[in-house]
Amino acid sequence: MAAVATVSSASGILAMLQEPAEELKLHALASLNSVVHLFYPEISTSIPTIESLYEDEEFDQRQLAALVVSKVFYYLGELNDSLSYALGAGPLFDVSEDSDYAHALLAKALDEYASFKTRASKATEEEENVDPRLETIVERMLEKCILDGKYQQAMGMAVECRRLDKLEEAIVQCDNIHGALSYCINLSHQYVSHREYRCEVLRCLVKIYQTLPHPDYLSICQCLMFLGEPETVANILDTLLSGSKDDALLAYQIAFDLVENENQAFLLNVKNRLDARTPAQSNPDSGSALPGDQTANLGTTSTEPAGDVQMGDDTTTANGNAHPVDPNETVHADRLSKIKGILSGEKSIQLTLQFLYTHNRSDLLILKTIKQAVEMRNSVCHSATICSNAIMHAGTTVDTFLRENLEWLSRATNWAKFSATAGLGVIHRGHLQQGRALMAPYLPQSGAVGGGSPYSEGGALYALGLIHANHGEGIKQFLRESLRNTSAEVIQHGACLGLGLASLGTADEEVYEDIKNVLYTDSAVAGEAAGIGMGLLMVGTASEKASEMLAYAHDTQHEKIIRGLALGIALTVYGREEEADTLIEQMTRDQDPILRYGGMYALALAYRGTANNKAIHQLLHFAVSDVSDDVRRTAVMALGFVLYNEPEQTPRIVSLLSESYNPHVRYGAALAVGISCAGTGLSDAISLLEPLTSDVVDFVRQGALIAMAMVMIQTNESFDSRVGTFRRQLEKIILDKHEDTMSKMGAILASGILDAGGRNVTIKLLSRNKHDKLTAVIGLAVFSQFWYWYPLLYFISLAFSPTAIIGLNSDLELPKFEFVSHAKPSLFEYPKPTTTQTTTSAVKLPTAILSTYAKAKSRAKKDAESKANLEKTTEAESKANQEKATDAESKTSGEKTPEDVSGSTSAKAAKSQEDGDAMQVDSTAEKKAPEPEPTFQILANPARVLPAQEKFIKFIEDSRYVPVRPAPSGFILLRDTQPTEPEELVLTDAPATVVSSTGNAAAAAGQPAAMAVDDEPQPPQPFEYNTL
Amino acid sequence: MDGELDEAIRKLAWLNFDCSRNELGSCVARLTELKILLTKFPSLPPTFQMTPNAVEELKFARVVYEFAVILSMEMKDQEAFERDLVQLKGFYMDTRGMIPPSPDEYPILGLNLMRLLAGNRIAEFHTELELLPLGALHHPCIKYAVELEQAFMEGTYRLINDRKAVPHESYRYFMDLLAETIRDEIADCSGQAYDHLPVNDAMEMLMFSSDQQLLEYISERQHEWEVQNCSVLFHMAKSQPRVGVHSFKLIKQSLCYAQELEQVV
Repeated sequence: MAAVATVSSASGILAMLQEPAEELKLHALASLNSVVHLFYPEISTSIPTIESLYEDEEFDQRQLAALVVSKVFYYLGELNDSLSYALGAGPLFDVSEDSDYAHALLAKALDEYASFKTRASKATEEEENVDPRLETIVERMLEKCILDGKYQQAMGMAVECRRLDKLEEAIVQCDNIHGALSYCINLSHQYVSHREYRCEVLRCLVKIYQTLPHPDYLSICQCLMFLGEPETVANILDTLLSGSKDDALLAYQIAFDLVENENQAFLLNVKNRLDARTPAQSNPDSGSALPGDQTANLGTTSTEPAGDVQMGDDTTTANGNAHPVDPNETVHADRLSKIKGILSGEKSIQLTLQFLYTHNRSDLLILKTIKQAVEMRNSVCHSATICSNAIMHAGTTVDTFLRENLEWLSRATNWAKFSATAGLGVIHRGHLQQGRALMAPYLPQSGAVGGGSPYSEGGALYALGLIHANHGEGIKQFLRESLRNTSAEVIQHGACLGLGLASLGTADEEVYEDIKNVLYTDSAVAGEAAGIGMGLLMVGTASEKASEMLAYAHDTQHEKIIRGLALGIALTVYGREEEADTLIEQMTRDQDPILRYGGMYALALAYRGTANNKAIHQLLHFAVSDVSDDVRRTAVMALGFVLYNEPEQTPRIVSLLSESYNPHVRYGAALAVGISCAGTGLSDAISLLEPLTSDVVDFVRQGALIAMAMVMIQTNESFDSRVGTFRRQLEKIILDKHEDTMSKMGAILASGILDAGGRNVTIKLLSRNKHDKLTAVIGLAVFSQFWYWYPLLYFISLAFSPTAIIGLNSDLELPKFEFVSHAKPSLFEYPKPTTTQTTTSAVKLPTAILSTYAKAKSRAKKDAESKANLEKTTEAESKANQEKATDAESKTSGEKTPEDVSGSTSAKAAKSQEDGDAMQVDSTAEKKAPEPEPTFQILANPARVLPAQEKFIKFIEDSRYVPVRPAPSGFILLRDTQPTEPEELVLTDAPATVVSSTGNAAAAAGQPAAMAVDDEPQPPQPFEYNTL
Repeated sequence: MDGELDEAIRKLAWLNFDCSRNELGSCVARLTELKILLTKFPSLPPTFQMTPNAVEELKFARVVYEFAVILSMEMKDQEAFERDLVQLKGFYMDTRGMIPPSPDEYPILGLNLMRLLAGNRIAEFHTELELLPLGALHHPCIKYAVELEQAFMEGTYRLINDRKAVPHESYRYFMDLLAETIRDEIADCSGQAYDHLPVNDAMEMLMFSSDQQLLEYISERQHEWEVQNCSVLFHMAKSQPRVGVHSFKLIKQSLCYAQELEQVV
């Protein structure tokens, strides 16, 4: 027995196939089956023979023959034939076989089945039935996956194949049902491109959720929101509210999470249903923004929701004590009113406002530099500066800069005045209670004709819209009246925009009629805003109104109106995906380039954040083939909207376009990256934008600068060094006398965006649950329209969301609560404030402050004067905190308690310096400068936490408060583990509690004094409400 | 396993017996039984399992297939011959290192060559030849087939017919077939070469011994030929137009192309 024999050819076996005897044929087939992977080239010539065996009805091993043929076809690369024979092989085709053949065919079978199912779902009648054999294979595969415990695979396949029954089976059998469900939700958002089907999947998931013993209501409600079923959400909330205290907390959390998605129409629906559920209750809720009560409330400090909360304290605490005995009516009613406050968005807006106000770190020096550098006569740069200021202070209510530069401000005339007034709306965004009072001096006075300039009046109406964006129940009526009472087109313009913003997505029939009347006056200025306003009103409703608007767009002669309408129509199909296809088709085929341009927006918005291949394909097609530059530019930009759920993809996709010879396409590419990568600080995005910021064409530079600012927002220099370079570049452009106006304007705006909202906001288009944030997306879409109309710049404020973690107790107040961020503080700290050139010799001082700056933040704010008295207590406390943190993490990084103590003192120093009393503590601060940077940082409620920082956040385990949901972002309801102990609250003043009705004299500059925070630990002191 | 081998050996003995009595029908039946029995041996191709008596089994299987080849030739069943031979070749090729070569290997391979030659399948003939080891060419059986092929190619048909020294009895069958093939070749050529030929010349050329044989051949194989006035008319030649016309056109075309190409460049 010398060598091992190997088969060198299959010809012998093939010859055996020809034998007349059945047994020999069988044997030959079996042998072939085992060697087919080696000899498929030889066997392929004999395929007809084997096929004839398969077709021979009397041959009893037809399936084997089919299997052999299938394998040969597979090796030849003919997957379709291979699959059809594999189906013929029936049970012989082994789904569990671990071979390339089996894998490839299974994939093919699944594809085939999935595409078939997809087609079947589209066809109206069930005319073609799926091959039962194919179905069997898929089912066998699914069962096998479930048996093997590969649940995720099974779920994926079931979703892909539209087998919801199997999906359910897989989820129910899975050992970690909650994990499986959340996996599925992710799946449905990321991979199910067909909207209707996604709804079905989600419905199925909700069904499963509800059968669970401990349903995850947070996720259910998110699903239900997507499905648009306010009734069920209301039910769930109602049940939870009637439950225990923890359940109520959960309900609040759900409400906050729902609010985060900014779907006003849905929230209103839920709220109304909750109302309807308790008809017996007299309705004490949020009437705060009723037009009547403004004048009455102006002077008082406590606004109505605050009053609500105050009242809530008592009752809930009562409940806390006597909890199991008496879950009585009043408790329920109180909870109900609280949750309605949340759902109306008021609570979150109020808290956000508070946060942005107290944490405002905007750098006035930057503005000052800009102001000095900009030529007086250059109105474009002038209004850009005003806009930049508005963006920098968006939502902070800090209008110091404006107040300090009133004379300079007054240079704004005509439309610039309009913009300047509207800018106030951005600054006071979310100031629901006081908004109208703030704008009062500018608003059109009923009766008095020609009191103010129509520009400032229009701007004020627009500003009101911005203040109440997406929460306009209270202001709607007033805006409508203003719209009806005027015939000045500028005021109409402002009112239309304002009305659209305030009643975003509510599809209010009456408002629609009002705006339509304006449109039909066929005035270019008013008509443009009317078009946009109608779109805003109808966002995402895919209503019939779109065709009406389209018809008018064809009728009118005014380009402006057509453009407004085109954008408006695009807004109506927001998020409708396939449903919008007919409309998109209609618009993109239009002769008028402006309507095609609208079609691009429609594509962008209908497929926002889906990364839908079809949409991308279409957009790329238009980007390179349309004759109009506007359409091409918009098509490229639209890619940014379609891709914002996968920001990493965008730079890759538009990188070629960014090198286009056509400057419009380059501009579009820059904005696309800016939009989809906004707030990510993505390195690829920055690399792509960098060369564009020094493009030869001025408007490309402008776009690139703005886009870069959007990408880099809230990124600091220690995170990416290019941020510093960029800031210096901006400064250089602004200071350069010979720079083009266009790029100068871009640079000014970019500085504003970079430090937007007092450096406490970012641009976020996706909520924590990966749902799209309607307002933000709409905001950016209209913002991108600034190419034609500068006042639309302010829409960017809609896209800002605060980067904060705000912990709330069951009374919706802020308890003292701390958590740890396991990252170097410098990674996420505020950018350094700029210094004037004259003070270069004194630079040492600010650096010393900065190294401990983070500490300052981690400590509650400290009043400089109380420092001396309280030093000891604070030290003790900080020591305790430090130890707690180190214990929790068993991290022995620091034998540095002493350092830390001094750190905390210097922190106070920094704080007091901020308040303007630096002299006393200079030495301390300076001495401690070389302290090594800690690797963690303790943050106190409410804290600034950047999105990138969220993954480093850990809650302290044995802390008194336990979060209701684990994900650390946004509003977090905290469960009190020691409900009997007195609670310490973080006391913050609501901003601008005193508003001067004349609007000019007031104490905005003095406001930092109001930031006093009660920090002292005083455990023994009994609280009043606790004894109750 | 041993039992099966023994049974198979017994069957082979019966087969030999039947064969010696020239009962071909029962031979075929027994052979099929044997082949089925062989499928149960795991040591046979394509599995080649190393069972203890693999060598015996392989040897035995080879004998069976050699027998099958000879038998099918005696039955004048060319298809079966080819089938069996291909299977047998598997044994020859793949087991070279495992079992001693069979004495009948080259005669049978030579036989295969003869078959291909007789069937005028020259390409396959050469393929087979290439697959043989160098030494095999000196084996009389192979050498004979090779020389025949050379003569056949040169057209020295006489030489083929003259050779009587057949190396193996079984070659006669294919020699007859070969003669037929050669005749067809000659007939084809004469059809191209001549418009007509006297019957006597044709008879001599086609190697017939009598007019009768020629006429029979014509009526059987060459339907387009006619015999008139003691000469054979090759109608085939008339029906086919000359090919020269095409070539003229082609030349013209090529020139035209060349000219235009030159202009382009």
